[in-house]
Formats: sequence, structure tokens, C-alpha cells
Amino acid sequence: MSEIPLPQVAKRVVPWWLIRHETMLALILLIALIGLGSLNNRFLTLDNLLNQGRLTTEVGLIALPMTFIIITGGIDLSVGSIVGLCAILLGYSWKVFGFPLPLAMCFSLLVGAAAGFLNGIVITRVKVPPLIMTIATLALYRGLAEGISQARSVRGYPEWFYFIGQENLFGVPAQLWLLLIAIVVSAIVLDRTTFGRTLYAIGNNETAARFSGLAVDRVKLIIYTLSGLMAGLSACVLVSRVTTTRSDMGIGYELDVIAAVVLGGTSIFGGVGTIWGTVVGLAMIQLLKNGLALTGVKGDATIVVIGAVLILSTLVASSLQRKREGV
Amino acid sequence: MTTDPHSKTPTTSLLSVRAVEKAFPGVRALSGVSFDVAEGEVHALLGENGAGKSTLIKIISGVFPPDRGEVLVDGKLVDLARPDDARRAGIATIYQELLLFPELTVAENIFMGHAPRAGLGRIDWRAMHEKTNALLASLEIHDLQADRVVGSLSVGNRQRVEILRALSQDARILIMDEPTAALTEYDVTRLFDIVRKLRARGVAVIYISHRLDEIFAIADRVTVLRDGAHVATRRVAETDAAGLVQLMVGRRLESLFPKVTVPIGKPVLEVKDLERRPLTRSVSLTVRAGEIVGLAGLVGSGRSELAQTIFGVTPAEGGEIRIDGQKVDIRSPAQARSLGVAYVPEDRGTQGLVRPMTVRENFSLAALGKVAFGGFIDRGAERRLAGDGVKRFAVKTSSLEQIAGKLSGGNQQKIVLGKWLANGPKLLILDEPTRGIDVGAKAEIHRLMGELAAQGLAILMISSELPEVLGMSDRVLVMREGRIVAEFSREEATQESVGAAMMGSHQNAEQAA
Repeated sequence: MSEIPLPQVAKRVVPWWLIRHETMLALILLIALIGLGSLNNRFLTLDNLLNQGRLTTEVGLIALPMTFIIITGGIDLSVGSIVGLCAILLGYSWKVFGFPLPLAMCFSLLVGAAAGFLNGIVITRVKVPPLIMTIATLALYRGLAEGISQARSVRGYPEWFYFIGQENLFGVPAQLWLLLIAIVVSAIVLDRTTFGRTLYAIGNNETAARFSGLAVDRVKLIIYTLSGLMAGLSACVLVSRVTTTRSDMGIGYELDVIAAVVLGGTSIFGGVGTIWGTVVGLAMIQLLKNGLALTGVKGDATIVVIGAVLILSTLVASSLQRKREGV
Repeated sequence: MTTDPHSKTPTTSLLSVRAVEKAFPGVRALSGVSFDVAEGEVHALLGENGAGKSTLIKIISGVFPPDRGEVLVDGKLVDLARPDDARRAGIATIYQELLLFPELTVAENIFMGHAPRAGLGRIDWRAMHEKTNALLASLEIHDLQADRVVGSLSVGNRQRVEILRALSQDARILIMDEPTAALTEYDVTRLFDIVRKLRARGVAVIYISHRLDEIFAIADRVTVLRDGAHVATRRVAETDAAGLVQLMVGRRLESLFPKVTVPIGKPVLEVKDLERRPLTRSVSLTVRAGEIVGLAGLVGSGRSELAQTIFGVTPAEGGEIRIDGQKVDIRSPAQARSLGVAYVPEDRGTQGLVRPMTVRENFSLAALGKVAFGGFIDRGAERRLAGDGVKRFAVKTSSLEQIAGKLSGGNQQKIVLGKWLANGPKLLILDEPTRGIDVGAKAEIHRLMGELAAQGLAILMISSELPEVLGMSDRVLVMREGRIVAEFSREEATQESVGAAMMGSHQNAEQAA
């Protein structure tokens, strides 16, 4: 190998962290914030920003395990349906089975985990591609939710239950604490543990990961189960916030979640991605939606803008990728 | 073919490359390389991995332009900005990874992109088949039919399709990049026949290989590159292997196979009647501490499958495995690892290394348990582990954070070896440990194997290179069709005896392929 450094490389003044996707995105986010803030004085207020945090929690909780899954090169499209199923079962088990509400919440988390586990077990044992399996369960779980609910909604939860979704704790929306804790834990797991390293190894080269004696199948099973569990938690938060349970809850969540993860620089082909990127992606989507709405842009136009931002970020990501790979 | 070999004197340079330079970020790949090939000449290009051979052929085949310097075809300056320009100049390249469409037929592959047309832009299938048959006949290939699906062909036949494809485009300059890397001995012989026929027709062949014996068998001249620079061009008849190796590595290698005799200890691995159909059939073997056992056989004889069954990738369906005398049931690589078994797989790129990850991450991948506490990776310990590995195996890398896939093949192989030795195994299974790596790195790996055996490691080495098997092994086992068919002591093992055992019912196997 002749590795003679060339002058033009030595002269590179842009530090490596600046060309990272997450940093670029954070910069764009900052510019968008300032821009939208200058157009509208209700946007950049603490109250509004905290409220946006409240609204993004349900998607955010699911986006964290989704980051893990996409880093391994997989995908979970069934999360929105799991939210619906868990929400229905929360209401149903409380109202119809007569479970005490805390037990009903645990039950709904358990159902979420079981739904994710089923995805994971079929993906790892039967080797069904994640896309196919979770499209199937997207339909299956939603169908179950609708079948159980029979189009009836459940209301009238006890007052304390609304604390999670509507009240503040130390001046910050209660559910935002949940999200913050989940973010910190996920970030540490991904960055510092053998589990996190295994995720990257699977995404970059699953065969080599297997040949290196890593527990590939077990790790995959865990992340799909975790994804279901977090969808269950998200369902509890959502029901608490909107005070009612309907079978169409969580429809389309999978797209919001995947958009945030991919916008945050996680490669859909696996192997690349960070929790920090996903957090920036989440913030970006929620704040764009809110900022544009406050500025008077209509709903349809907002979706167009978000789509455009996603395409733009993909372009930036692929050009950065090429830069990293040299040629 | 359009060229008539007698119309020009054989000394005409068909292709000449003058003072070509090329740099990539951080690496000067070529500095002022000149090189030429005459009509009807086989010109070998030799050099260690990273010497610049690949860069040079990519410039000649128009994959990327040189920073400086020029390329002349027939004495005329050509601008090879795109692969298509090279094709038009009569240059065709056959890469290591064959670029064929496995679902299409031989004829469709050969004429992909330039199929003969009938009216209205329709493909003239009959002309295409006739032309294909004419090409097959011109090279006297009789076991290949125009309508066979390429995916069903053996590697050797697929390569012939690539060669025909090049000829169908009237290529006058044929670049072959390690064409024999995946071939059986039989296919190598046939390849050489074809190359000789092409040479007789006036085609200029640029032949890249790590195998010196091939260069002496087929090439007229040889050019040696080292560190991106032209070292020498010699007539093959006027040089010898030792001289070429010295030119390549810039120093003299003491010996190609530094086999040291070490005391052989107790059995480490004992396998009895191991079954995993279809390619592991009632296999029994023993490897002792300090012993290097060579496992020879043709491609597809079941050697890698046996190794992967022992290692738990494809767990056994019957029979027994003992490690250090203890009966074990290995169901996964993780379990094999905890029993002290290490496996350096055949395919470095897909099985051994996670190429997009860093040198540090690759070194620790199989030994994460050693650098992690309660599931948390101790980054300091990980860096030390990787740093020690880099030093111990003399891996040439700019830093521990270098992406492993960007290193040369030899250095990648050292990382794969190093990551397994970090666990301190008792048994090391090496599957083609030196395939596709250069002479210098090869010698280092052989030296290392000797050292490891001396430390009491039991080594099972799979290799398709007979000189390597004969040179490094204490004992040689031969596999054929999933069974061990012969065993030779170091003294008994010769090219002829082992080769004959490998072939066995070879003719039938080839027809089945």
C-alpha cells in the first residue's frame, strides 16, 4: 500500500463532524427554526415548543427501536397497527374485562411486545423478509383491532390517567420525560454496548456477523419485540392524551416514524445511523409541520414541504456517502 | 475476427501507456507508469496488492481517467473517458467477479448490448445463435451450448462466456484480472489453451495473476509494479521466480514455505462419522496440538462445508465432535468460539470481514466478550486489543479508525486472522488463508501459521493451492464429494499423489457441472 498523503487532502479545512449527516440536519433545522420564528411570533415560544414535544412523543417512542431495526437493514411497518391494537385492548380490557386500569396498561404493553415478538420470530426463524412480514401484520393487527372494537370507542377513563398525556411534571409535559429517558437509554445502548455494535455489524454484513459468533437472531428478535413494546407504550400515551380509544388510532404512524428515522441519516440499507440523528429528524418534522401551520400554510402544502425535505436530505446523505467512500 | 496476425510485424505495440499518474485522496496509486503490449503477446502484470495493477487496468479500460499521462492504441492517442470508449478502441476486460446475467442464456450474455438486429429493431435470434456457435467453434469449445442458462454453468464455463463476449466485440486487447483465482486445475489448463489460441490470432493479452507458475506457463513478458511505480519489464524466458518475487517485494524472501517442525501433542479436534448432507458424509479426522493438517480437494468437494459444520454455521446432523477429548454438540458459531474453535472463512469479503466498519471494530467483533463488561464496551480496552493486533500482524493501516474494506486483501486477511486469534483459540480452521493475496503477505501468513503451531495451536488448513498444502502441512487429507478419500503423511504427499486423489472421478463431475 502506498499511503502518501496528498497536499489537497491535508489542506481539508472542513472538520469531519461538520459533514456528518446529523450535523448538517441540525444546521438546517436551526435555520428553519429561525426562519419560521421570524415569520411568526407564536412559534419560538417555550410553551409552543414544549407542546410540540408533547405531540411528537408517540411517534418518537416508536422511532427509537425503529432506528435499531433500520440499522440492521430491517423494517417494521406494523407499528401503527400495533398502536391501534394496543389502544383498543387497553380500553377493552378495562371496560369489558373489568381490569384495573394499571393492569390494563400492563396488558396492552404485553400485547404490543407479543405482536413484535411474532414479527421477530417469523423473520428470524422462517426467514420471511421483514418488509413482507410486517406488511402482513400491518393488516392483521389492524384487522384484529377493528374486530375487537366493533367501531365502538371507549371513553371515561379515571382522571389520574390523563396525567401522562396532558399534565406537566417539573414544567415539562409528562410524556416528554418518558421520551427523554427512552432517548438517553437508546443512545447509550446503541453507542456503548455490544448489543449496539451487533446491530451495526448485522446491518453492514449479516453473514460476517454470524461467522463472528454474534447472536444475530436473538438480537433481531429483541429489537422487533422492543418495537412492539414501544408501540404499546405509545398507545397508552396517545389514549391518555386524546382521552378516548378508537380502532383507527395510529394509522399511518409507520410512515411518520420511518420518515423521521431516515431523515435523521439512518441508512435504509442498514449499517449506518444514530439515535441523535433520529431525534433531530423527529424535531425537524414536527417543527416544520407546526411552524408552517402557524404561518398559515395549509395542511396539504405542509405534507408537500415535508416530502421535499425528505428527498433533499436523501440527496445530501448519498452525496456524503460518496464523499466518504472516496471515488 | 477482423485482425490478421500476419499483416503487421509482431513487435508492433498495440497498446502503450505512457507515464500515467493517478492519485486518490490519501493514496498515490500510480506514479509515472509506462507499459506496452504487442500484438500476439501475453504480457503479465505482477505486483503485490496495492501495487497499482487494478488502477492501471481501470485506466486502460476507461473506468476512470488518469491524472497525467497518455494511452495509445495502434500508435494513436486515445481518450478513454468511459468504458464505452475503451470498448470501441478494442479493449475488453474480464474482471475477477464475472459480470454476467445468470438468468440469461450464453448467447444472450455474449451479445448483451450489441445483439444482431432484424427489421424494426427486433433481435435476430437465429443470427445470434449462429454467431455464438461460430465463436464457440473458433475456440474449440464443445461442452457449451448457446442456449444454456449462464447461472447453471461452472465457473470455468462462465469465464469462457466472458471471453467470448469480449471477442464478439472484436476486442484486440484483452485484460484478464486474476482469471484463475476461482478455477480448478482442469479449467486453468483449458483457459491457457484459449489464451494461446488468442495469442496466435494476434490478440494482445494483459494477464494479471499472483501465481508465478502461471506467468511462466503463459506469459511472454512480465512487468512488475511496486507501490504504484514501474519496477521492471522482463522477458519471462530470461527471469526466474525468485527474481520476480524480489522485484515485487523489494527484498528477498527466505523461503516460501517456512515449515518448522514442532512437537505434536494430544488430539484437540476429533471428528467421527460427521454427517451433514449433501456435502459432509461420514467424515472422520483428528487434528493434534501443534499440528497443521492440510485439507485438499477440488472446489465443491465439501471442504468449506465440513469446516462450517464443525464451526456450527450449519450444525451436524449426525456423528460426533470431540474437543480436547470432551464430546461436544456445536450448534452455533458462538458456541464453537466458547469451545476454543476459530474459523477464518474462505470468503473474506462476505464472511470474514465487515468491510464498511473500522479496523478497530473488526478486530474486536469476535472478541467483544473480552473488551466488554456487563454488555458495555470498554473503548480503551478495545483500542488496545486492536492496536496489539495491528502490531502483532503488521497490518498496514493509517489508523485504527480506517475502514477495513479499503485495505489491501493481504491486510484484510490479517485482520480476519487477528480477530480470531484475539480469543486465544485451541483449534484454528483456515479456509483458503492466502487466496488472492500477494506473495509478501502470503509469506507472512505462512510464517505466522508456523509460529501458532509452535505455540501448540491445532490448525486445519483448507487450500486449493497444492504447493501450499504440501509446503505447510504435517499431514494431508483429501476430500472428494463430501468424503475424506485419502490421507498422506508429509513424506508421502506429492503433487502427483494428492492431485490424483483429488481428481478421482473428476471427469464425471465436470460433465455434471
